Amino acid sequence: MVSTFEKYEAIDMFSEWNPKTDPIINLINLKKWFPISEQSILFSRVVAQIKAVDGVDLFLNKGETLGLVGESGCGKSTTARVAVKLEEPTEGAVYFKGIDIFQPMTREEELAIKRQLQMVFQDPYSSLNPRRMVLDLIREPFDIHFPDMTYEEKESRVLEILAKVGLEDYHALRYPHEFSGGQRQRIGIARALAIHPEVVLLDEPVSALDVSVQAQILNLLHDLQVEFNLTYMFIAHDLSVIKHVSDRVAVMYLGKIMEMSPTGELFRKTAHPYSVSLLSAIPRPDPRIKKDRIILEGDVPSPINPPSGCPFHPRCYKAQEICSKVTPNLEELEAGHFVACHFPEI
Amino acid sequence: MKMAKPILDVQDIYTYFYTESGVVEALDGVSFDVNQGEPVGIVGESGCGKTVTAKSTLRILDKNGKTVSGKIIYKGIDLLELPDLQMRKIRGKEIAMIFQDPMTSLNPIFKIDDQMTEVIALHRDCSKKEALEYAIEALEQVGIPDPATRINDYPHQFSGGQRQRVFIARALALQPSLLIADEPTTALDVTIQAQILELIKEMQRKHGLAMMLITHNLGVVAETTKRVHIFYGGRVVESGPTEDIFIDPKHPYTRALFDSIPSLEKDKHRLATIPGLVPRLINPPKGCRFHPRCKFATEICMRERPPDVLIDKQKGRRVQCHHFEELDLHVDESTIKERSQIIEEA
Repeated sequence: MVSTFEKYEAIDMFSEWNPKTDPIINLINLKKWFPISEQSILFSRVVAQIKAVDGVDLFLNKGETLGLVGESGCGKSTTARVAVKLEEPTEGAVYFKGIDIFQPMTREEELAIKRQLQMVFQDPYSSLNPRRMVLDLIREPFDIHFPDMTYEEKESRVLEILAKVGLEDYHALRYPHEFSGGQRQRIGIARALAIHPEVVLLDEPVSALDVSVQAQILNLLHDLQVEFNLTYMFIAHDLSVIKHVSDRVAVMYLGKIMEMSPTGELFRKTAHPYSVSLLSAIPRPDPRIKKDRIILEGDVPSPINPPSGCPFHPRCYKAQEICSKVTPNLEELEAGHFVACHFPEI
Repeated sequence: MKMAKPILDVQDIYTYFYTESGVVEALDGVSFDVNQGEPVGIVGESGCGKTVTAKSTLRILDKNGKTVSGKIIYKGIDLLELPDLQMRKIRGKEIAMIFQDPMTSLNPIFKIDDQMTEVIALHRDCSKKEALEYAIEALEQVGIPDPATRINDYPHQFSGGQRQRVFIARALALQPSLLIADEPTTALDVTIQAQILELIKEMQRKHGLAMMLITHNLGVVAETTKRVHIFYGGRVVESGPTEDIFIDPKHPYTRALFDSIPSLEKDKHRLATIPGLVPRLINPPKGCRFHPRCKFATEICMRERPPDVLIDKQKGRRVQCHHFEELDLHVDESTIKERSQIIEEA
């Protein structure tokens, strides 16, 4: 059975990549703008751009979990979608194992990349085709990536991965509506892991689930990571979940990375005023903790017309004149601790 | 301590939904109370009967639902016995409700002006002009900038957080005595959630409102309420002062629920999980509804419904468990210390 997988892994295109020193995924000055066009009778013209992702630098090392956190509309999901080649970037590049995934390439090369880069989506209710049985849903990645695998082998592999995510054989013959939210998320995970990828991008995998079920899925993801030596990019808006799962955390705001550092460091030595406010905003499940929290005024500005300079300056408690004029670069303050701020807290 | 008088006293209510696939026993003997001017939390996972409780209280259940027995005493009157016409005067004027989703709870085709002044004029028995003044005043109180102009806008012109503010303003303009807030911050981002929670707390104190805060977020409960009722499978499994319940839970479900949330304070690698799923209420488990998922369950739990035991009369602590006396579910000192230590550092 191993033979089929090995045959495909033989494509030699990542020879220059050194897993010990180079990041497995590297995003360089990534931008993704969505045009808004105005329609007249005959013509349409672009009147504005939604700058969903506006210059993101980010890297993922082999075997780690990077948590990507931020409020809705800050560009977390778009970043992930570009990183797995579901969207074309407006500017910038995505390197996977040292190869620019948007350079011209053959169909085989493209599949070889996509086979190693998979994604799990947020909403287990809308990300599975309701008319297809679980068996067919999970078999689909094999049909695409291993077309000459026999039906029997595909089937046995489907059952194998179902068992890994904690579902039973008979579940293969059921339809998505027969499952609960947590079980559906297990199917989504099985679908992504079926073809043994190296990197999995998890887009809010637990935010639609109840707390008790959420804990089950988080544990499952952890077990699978250990078993298959996976690299995760974990997107969430819940900082306590992020803290629990990640080795490193990147905080995003209005299409830009504000702070990126090892998890412990971020919570102990929070440097960016936005991260400070975000941490302070979380309600703590301990009634005896009484604290003064920093409450940010106003809403997240629109990404159509983001503020000049530092995008956070209109809501920042430390903002000075320079913040509205000069965009701060993401700089390494301490080893591994990157901050984009003129007046960091450390 | 002077015993506060309950403004709302729910006594042993049973609410059933009649569906094609059977009778859903959504509320199965629910009793709890809310005191004058007191914020009370209703906590539980989805499908445990939190929202049905609120809807039963206001008698706004869907057509196939009915509260078949029990009493809901509000200021000495049984709401279930009240004629429809008088019930209408209770809704809004006496008991106001805020809903989860600010996107759908305001009518998109009417201006804020129309949506607010109509109800105010009706319930407060004043002219349209006075109603407009009250409305602007209420909007100002909840922190909508330039309310006299903004009142002429449509709901889509407000952001999610602002819409929730408008909704709160509309509820409070009628000067109710009891506010039911059903997951008021669930749809909002953390920083906006912090703003809205602060606003709700401030309004609650300022107007001396009794409040029923329905939520699944234990952090929100810990910070906002004085007392909690924990719901599971259509029953109240435990009630008492928030602090006591968080530190010394008596029901195995409460403890398991607390253990399964990843928190900023905990630093464990695996989360404790509750096996299985939230029960379906069409054919609920016999005896204690938590027994299939409870690690302490014995034979009696499968057979008999646990009695509602009042443990501490002064504090109003109640628990529904056969084994609460034998179990020690106290959160140990080290966990508590760990929690508060990290907080102090932050």
